[in-house]
Amino acid sequence: MRRLTLPALAVLAVALPFALSAAQLTTATFVVIAAIGATGLNVLTGFAGQISLGHAAFLGVGAYTGAVLGADHGVDALLWIPAAGVAAGLLGALLGPIALRLRGLYLAIVTLGLVFIAQHVFFNATGLTGGPQGRAFPAVQFGSFDFSPGKVLRLGAATIDSSGLYYFLALILLAAATAFTWNLRRSRSGRAMVALRERETAAAVMGVDVGRLKVTAFVVSSFLAGISGALYGSYLSFAQPGQWSLLMSIQFIAAIIVGGLGTTAGPLLGCAVVFALPSLLKELPFLPEAGSGGLSASDLTSISYGVLIVAFLTLQPRGIVGIADRLHRSGGNDDHAKTQKVTVTTPKEAHS
Amino acid sequence: MTEFLQLLFQGVSLGATYALVALGFVVIFRSSGVINFAQGAMLLAGAYTISWLATDVGVPFLPAVLMAVALLALAGAAFQHSVLRRVSGEPTFVLVMITIGAGIAVTALIEALFGADQRLLGDPWGSSSFGVGDVTINWVKLWGIGVTVAALAAYFAFDKYSRWGLAMQATAEDEEATLSLGVPVSRVHLVTWALAGALAVLGGLFLAGFPNSPQPTLGDAALRAFPAIVLGGLRSPTGAVVGGLVIGETEVMTSGYAPAALGDNFYAVAPYIAMILILLVRPYGLFGRAPAERL
Amino acid sequence: MRRSSSVLIPLAVVGSSLVLAACGTGDSKKDSGSSGGGSAGTVKGGPGVDVAAKTIRIGDINALSGPASALGKPVAAGHRAYFKALNASGGIDGWKIRLTIKDSGYAPQQHVQIYNAIHDDVALLDSFGSPTTKAIQKLVDNDKLVTTPLSFDSIWGTDPVMAPVGTPYSYDIANVLDYYTKSGKDKPKIGIIYQNDEYGQDGLHGFKAAEKGLGFTDAGQQTFKAGDTEFTAQIQKLKAAGADAVIVIALPSSTGPIVGTAASLGFTPQWILQGPSFVEQLITKDGSLKAKQTPVAGALKGALVTSFSAAWGDPNAPGMKAVVADHDKYEPGAPPSIYFAVSYAAAKVQAEILRKAIASGDLSRAGILKAKENLGTVDLGGVAPSPTYTPDGGPPSTKSLITRIDPAVEGFLKPVEASYGSNVADGLR
Repeated sequence: MRRLTLPALAVLAVALPFALSAAQLTTATFVVIAAIGATGLNVLTGFAGQISLGHAAFLGVGAYTGAVLGADHGVDALLWIPAAGVAAGLLGALLGPIALRLRGLYLAIVTLGLVFIAQHVFFNATGLTGGPQGRAFPAVQFGSFDFSPGKVLRLGAATIDSSGLYYFLALILLAAATAFTWNLRRSRSGRAMVALRERETAAAVMGVDVGRLKVTAFVVSSFLAGISGALYGSYLSFAQPGQWSLLMSIQFIAAIIVGGLGTTAGPLLGCAVVFALPSLLKELPFLPEAGSGGLSASDLTSISYGVLIVAFLTLQPRGIVGIADRLHRSGGNDDHAKTQKVTVTTPKEAHS
Repeated sequence: MTEFLQLLFQGVSLGATYALVALGFVVIFRSSGVINFAQGAMLLAGAYTISWLATDVGVPFLPAVLMAVALLALAGAAFQHSVLRRVSGEPTFVLVMITIGAGIAVTALIEALFGADQRLLGDPWGSSSFGVGDVTINWVKLWGIGVTVAALAAYFAFDKYSRWGLAMQATAEDEEATLSLGVPVSRVHLVTWALAGALAVLGGLFLAGFPNSPQPTLGDAALRAFPAIVLGGLRSPTGAVVGGLVIGETEVMTSGYAPAALGDNFYAVAPYIAMILILLVRPYGLFGRAPAERL
Repeated sequence: MRRSSSVLIPLAVVGSSLVLAACGTGDSKKDSGSSGGGSAGTVKGGPGVDVAAKTIRIGDINALSGPASALGKPVAAGHRAYFKALNASGGIDGWKIRLTIKDSGYAPQQHVQIYNAIHDDVALLDSFGSPTTKAIQKLVDNDKLVTTPLSFDSIWGTDPVMAPVGTPYSYDIANVLDYYTKSGKDKPKIGIIYQNDEYGQDGLHGFKAAEKGLGFTDAGQQTFKAGDTEFTAQIQKLKAAGADAVIVIALPSSTGPIVGTAASLGFTPQWILQGPSFVEQLITKDGSLKAKQTPVAGALKGALVTSFSAAWGDPNAPGMKAVVADHDKYEPGAPPSIYFAVSYAAAKVQAEILRKAIASGDLSRAGILKAKENLGTVDLGGVAPSPTYTPDGGPPSTKSLITRIDPAVEGFLKPVEASYGSNVADGLR
């Protein structure tokens, strides 16, 4: 089943921009850019079982690295995009050792602190980030191949505009990231990560190098977050330090859980739900015109966004991939493993 | 000196409020291993319910507070019964995520119902204050500290002497074993969520008291209480109180005395930095203990 | 490896399709006059213009939810009221205005999404907020879509497609400090407490310029974060420095605690509030005159406010009569607010831009931009400072409305100076 599903998904993804309106394409582009970051978080949380609320900080570091290199020093996008990943990855490597000392929700709260500390630095490092005023971010440019608004790529009769170009660039990077994590999951390290997720102490006893593994997961996760952040900043063209907020981290966690923790397609599916939902809800025809008084569409959107997360996870805690797998369980032996119950070792569970 | 004493008092007052918020977190975490991210929304709901009853409906202040406590306790229990009970046994962070979703929905609902502008709380204290030497003591702050102490004493008594308190401790230690002993664990969860709802009303009340007022961003203050619970250890009520006071003082004192070189608004991150430093030395907080590892 | 190849196939497909075509991108030459579809009469159409039906669509990306919704909602109401009234009175030469209001929740990402959704269908745009408008600025520039930013940042004056209304914050602060130093005691000590974001920075810019130009003593620059509940330390420092006056750049939810904390510490300087720091609910429960007063109402009495608009119902502002009448007729549910008034005034400027474009028979993007650049001064009847647009750019207005808080009058703001200008503010240019 899977072997057919993935190419079909890929064809769909490539054809999609030509079927969407400008607004829908913008939404789709943000979704694919976010999915790169979510793929990273999926390695850390889905594979290795480490909950991080600090993802936004790594996106921010990536975005500012891209901006400083691309805009302030005129470096080509071919360099600043990977450099954004490397800078964020380095920060991850630096912080990994802290994670070694902490378990479960303690780690979650410390990484929550990381978001606030990173924001503090972003607010005060005016030379790099523009400080409270915010700064402009460079458009992606590979030599003369320019992604700026107003530029188009002509492919015979079809044209791809700026949003479309960002969409395809993000899609390529997402495909690469997905292929990489897919292989990682099947490697020795990947299996060890899952062992770590299920029972850390047991894994350590069985000879898994817990420290090295956690740091690896952190580096992979933050590298992809950095890439995602650089593209996000570039596509948005302007951001203030407040952009890289706890809410953003929460959206990433929500995305990988809603999509299906530890699964291959989960990050993209989850991002499609979490990042596109607010825009989609606003387009519902039965909602009153914005601002026409009473319980407005915008109020209803925010309320239903929260309610949908609660309802979905209550009814379907294994995420979207969980539903899909249940539909064709006969499909492949390998799929069960993907949606198996994910346990994170919290101090409490270690008790029992 | 006056300035220092004034800040010391403000720190205790802020710390007491954080302690109330932190206790709300700890109560739930102890019995179910869930960090309740909806706590901020519950604080907000508490403050708005009091404000609505006292200024719109016209209920006298004290009955308004008691009614709000009852309503929020009921709401907390209802949330546990209708939502969380269905997903017991699922991974912890699915539950955490559900509380985040609930928090978003409740905050948005409050804004939709009451608008985004600030409201009157309807409390009898307002801006009234008295002086001790040159230090100004606002009545609302003093009441806040007093109520916190009373609430904590009541909680500790409840925890130690009542049947439910014992059952909660047992559930916290080992849910399956407790269940097998015939303790109605699901009812224990109901009681903890009701307690958290009640505590949120008191936290919200003093968070929204003078000079603040009920307004939609008030719930963010719950995030400032996170370092407090981690500092104290996620499952230690005593730790929540000590952590709350430490964080309150840290925030106010760095606001007063941090050198400019640390950047603008350093006080807002100082609690998180303190938290991380302490966790590096004691990974389970000041009052937490490392659990026994079993394979 | 057999499996991993199936992942790499799409990668290769996508990759090669781009690489093959990656000889470079070109400029999109949009024929901006086409979507109007021909011309009835003599007026040339453009995006958002229906020449046959004689309607013009204006987009409004607002913040009806999220952290700024307290300001965004009255802004949307002000727009609706003005255009409803305009259409009811026959429109502009028979042209009717259609308004599309969308909610971005003050999130830049949503703002961009909405912009991309509506930009081809609107002839003019309102964009609420500073970070949000900066996120679409490149897109707006590229589309040559004349945009009214509902934000009083000083940078908008430098962008020809922007049609800002109102005096930038930095000018307001410079002006009010000039007014204060000239009317109060000699060599005063003045401090400032500001929210540390771009909104606070612009006012701070004006404060620093005024400090140089006016020679008062700086009693300290204190910052806080939006959402803070505890301000004692900052207030103590201002008090210890002996500040005679303190500028507050905050949102109302912080203004209350700042002024309240100071009052209970016995610190009562001359408060000076930058526009958005004030909202009527700071004085009474629901912002109306008869309602119960808040605990900080007393401490705020006599504070100076640099207002976007004249006080509600101000008899000295001839334009205010229409604002109040249209409010009562078309948007009676919206609370009377300076945000309503300033947005009503901004809508009037947009109508004048369109009137000029219609008069020159060109409602294409280029035609509207030309009309805006050559509009000159629009008289807003004292509701808000009258803006002037020229091809040279610059701030739309450098004059400030200075008011004083009086809890005994409707709207709580009593006019002090209707159009106050100063050399310091002129020096900011």
